Amino acid sequence: MELELELGLAPPNHAGSCGKRGTKEAFGIDKAGLPLILRDDDGDHGSNCSDARDWEMSNKKKRLVGWPPVKSAHRPRSNGGHVKVKMEGVPIGRKVDLSRHASYHQLHHTLRLMFPSSTSHHGDPYAVTYEEGDGDWMLVGDVPWEDTVMSAKRLKILLV
Amino acid sequence: PAASLSTPSSPDALPAAAASPRAPPARASRRVASPGPATARAAPMGRGGARDGAAAAPPWHSLPDEVLEHAFSFLPAAADRGAAAAVCHGWLGAERRSRRRLAVANCYAAAPRDAVDRFPSVRAAEVKGKPHFADFGLVPPAWGAEAAPWVAAAADGWPLLEELSFKRMVVTDECLEMIASSFRNFQVLRLVSCEGFSTAGLAAITEGCRNLRELDLQENYIEDCSSHWLSYFPESFTSLETLNFSCLEGEVNFAVLERLVSRCRNLKTLKLNNAIPLDKVASLLRKAPQLVELGTGKFSAEYHSDLFAKLEAAFAGCKSLRRLSGAWDAVPDYLPAFYCVCEGLTSLNLSYATVRGPELIKFISRCKNLQQLWVMDLIEDHGLAVVAGSCSKLQELRVFPSDPFGAGQVLLTERGLVDVSASCPMLESVLYFCGQMTNEALITIAKNRPNFTCFRLCILEPRTPDYVTRESLDAGFSAIVESCKGLRRLSVSGLLTDLVFKSIGANGNCLEMLSIAFAGNSDLGLHYILSGCKTLKKLEIRDCPFGNKPLLANAAKLETMRSLWMSSCSLTLGACRQLAEKMPRLTVEIMNDPGRTCPVESLPDDSPVETLYVYRTIAGPRSDTPDYVQIV
Repeated sequence: MELELELGLAPPNHAGSCGKRGTKEAFGIDKAGLPLILRDDDGDHGSNCSDARDWEMSNKKKRLVGWPPVKSAHRPRSNGGHVKVKMEGVPIGRKVDLSRHASYHQLHHTLRLMFPSSTSHHGDPYAVTYEEGDGDWMLVGDVPWEDTVMSAKRLKILLV
Repeated sequence: PAASLSTPSSPDALPAAAASPRAPPARASRRVASPGPATARAAPMGRGGARDGAAAAPPWHSLPDEVLEHAFSFLPAAADRGAAAAVCHGWLGAERRSRRRLAVANCYAAAPRDAVDRFPSVRAAEVKGKPHFADFGLVPPAWGAEAAPWVAAAADGWPLLEELSFKRMVVTDECLEMIASSFRNFQVLRLVSCEGFSTAGLAAITEGCRNLRELDLQENYIEDCSSHWLSYFPESFTSLETLNFSCLEGEVNFAVLERLVSRCRNLKTLKLNNAIPLDKVASLLRKAPQLVELGTGKFSAEYHSDLFAKLEAAFAGCKSLRRLSGAWDAVPDYLPAFYCVCEGLTSLNLSYATVRGPELIKFISRCKNLQQLWVMDLIEDHGLAVVAGSCSKLQELRVFPSDPFGAGQVLLTERGLVDVSASCPMLESVLYFCGQMTNEALITIAKNRPNFTCFRLCILEPRTPDYVTRESLDAGFSAIVESCKGLRRLSVSGLLTDLVFKSIGANGNCLEMLSIAFAGNSDLGLHYILSGCKTLKKLEIRDCPFGNKPLLANAAKLETMRSLWMSSCSLTLGACRQLAEKMPRLTVEIMNDPGRTCPVESLPDDSPVETLYVYRTIAGPRSDTPDYVQIV
C-alpha cells in the first residue's frame, strides 16, 4: 500500500524540513500506525479483512538488524542461548549460542565452521530447521531473527 | 594513558618521518650530544660549549637524547607526545625511541611491523579492530581485524612487552600461544569483544606467563574446549592482581580457583562467571577480603537464611570493596546481604541484572558514594528519582533496555534522566535507552548539566518525535550541544531533521565521536557535520538519507578523522570511486550483501552502496578482505 494515512502523528512542522523524502522514509518502515480499514473482532469479512491482515503483516514491526544498538550480551536470553545442533548424517552434535549471533547470516557462518562439508556432502544445499516450543520443526529464516532466538529449542541441519 | 600512533594532522610538518614509518631501528641512530644536521644552521656561534662562570645552558637543539627522553616521560598523554614529536627531527627520534605505551585505534591504519620499528621501546600496546557497529551485528563474520600479524610483529620487535590489549579483533589460540612464549615479562592481557579463541588458548597463557598480573576477558566469545585452563597456573604462581572470566560460558574447577585466590594475596579484581553459585562466592570472599572489585556472576538462588548469613558475613569482611557487578537474577531478599559494602561502592554494574523492585532501589539508595551506575530500565523513573536524591557524586549513568524488541510497556521515560541530571552535579556521561522524549526535557537537561562530556540517548523506536508536541527533537539536541561545550561523544535518536546537524556542526567544537541513526532529511545534514565539528574523529551513520555530494565535497575532512561508517544511506559506487581516487591516503571499503560476490569493477557507477567504511591509513589497502568487502 503506497499511502499509509495515519491518525495521530503530524509530520514535523519545521520550515526547513521539506526535503525530498519518499513515504517510506517519512513514515519509517516500522511505524505502527492505525489501519484505515478497521477490523471487526469476529474474524473473516472477506476481501476487506484479508487486505487489513496483509497490511498489518507488512506493517508489523520489522526487526531491524542491529537496532536498538545493544550488544548481544545485553540481550535477554532464553535457556542461556545455547541450543543443540545436529546435522543429518553426522553422528556428533554441537552446541551454538543463538543469542551471540545478531543475524541469520552470522548463524550460517558459524554452522559452516562447525560442520565443514565432508567429502561426500560438499556444496550440497542444506536447510537449517529449528524446533519450536510446541514441537514443530520450522525453517530458519521465515520470521525475524530475534523471534527465532527466543523460540528455538534446538536446530537440525537437513540436506535438501 | 597510552600514546597513539596517529597520522599527524599536518603531514607537511615532517614529511620524511611521517610518510616513511620505516625509520631506522633505534640502535643505529642513537645520538648523544652533538646537534643533528638539520639544526646545524641554527647553532649559535661564539658561545660554543665553553663553561664559564655563569654556566651557559645548552641550547635546546643540543640536549642529549637521555635528557629529552626524560622530559618526555612526563608527558603521558598521547597527544602531547605526538606534539613533541612533531617539533623537529631530533625530538621525533627521542620521543619515538622512548615511547612506552602505544594505542593503535585502527589496526589497519598502520602496518604492525612499521609500528614496532617506529616505537621500539614499547612495553604496553593496545590495538582495536572492527568498527564500533560490529557490536550490533552490522559487520558479518570473517571481516578481518586479525590479531595475528600484530602478535607476530610484537614477538619479533618487542621482546620486553608487558601488556597487550585487543578490542574487537580476532584472536586465535595460536596468538595466545605465541604471546605466552614470546615475552618473558608478560604481565597484562586484556581482550575486549574479541573472538576466535578457546579455553585451550587461555591454558597457554596461564601456563606460560609466569609474571602474569592481569587476565581481563571482557565480553568475548570464547569457545569452551573444557581444558582446565585455570589449573595451568603453577602452584607457585602468586602474582595475579586481576582475574576476569565473566564472559566464559563453561565451568571452572572451583577448588583450583579457590586455591588460586587464596595464594594470590595481591588479587584486587575478581570477576566470576555464571557457573559459580552463590555459596561459592561467599567462600571466595572469605579467602580474598582485600578485593577492590568483584563480579559475582550468576547471583540467583532460592532464599535460604543460612546462605544469607554466610554472604552477609563474607561481605562484612570486604572493607576495600569499591566496584561491584554481576548477572543478578537475584532473589531480592539477598540484597540486604550487601548493605555493609554499599557505602564504599564507587561503581555498580547491574546492566545484566534482572532484579527489580523496591529492594533494588533501597539497595542503590544506600550507595551514597556511587560514581558510576549501570542499570537496566527495570529501575524505572521512580527508581532513578531515588538515585537522584541519594547518589550526589554520580558521574556516569548507563540505563539499558530490558526488553529491546518488545512492544511492552514503556518502563522508562524522560523523567528519570531529568531528575538525575538535575540533582547530580558531577554527572558528565550518560547512555540512556528509553521509550519517549520531549524537547522540553532535553532543554532542561542541557541547562542543568553543561558539563556533559558524553551524551548518548537512544529512543527505542526510530524517528520518534517529541511525544507531547509531535515536533522533531531538533530543539532538544541543539540545546545539548549549545550548552555542553566540552561534549566529546554524542549519539542522537528520535525524529530529527537536517537542522539539528546544523547545530551540531556549529557547536560541537570538542566532539570526537558522533553516532546517527534514522535521522535527517537530505545531503545537507551530512554536509553540516562534515564541514563543522572541527575535532571529529569517528562518525558512524546508519539509515539516513545522506548521499554522495556531501561526502565528495568534504573529502579532505575524512583524512583528519579516524574513520567514517555509513550504512543503508544513499550512496552510489561512482562517488566512492571518486573519493578513493581523490584521497589516496584513505582506504575506501564497500560492503555488500554477503550473498552477492560479483567484482566491484564490473558494476556501474550508479550501483547503490549498502555499507561504506572509510579510514585513513599509512599502510595502503589491506590484503585480508573477505569476498563481501571490496576496496575501491
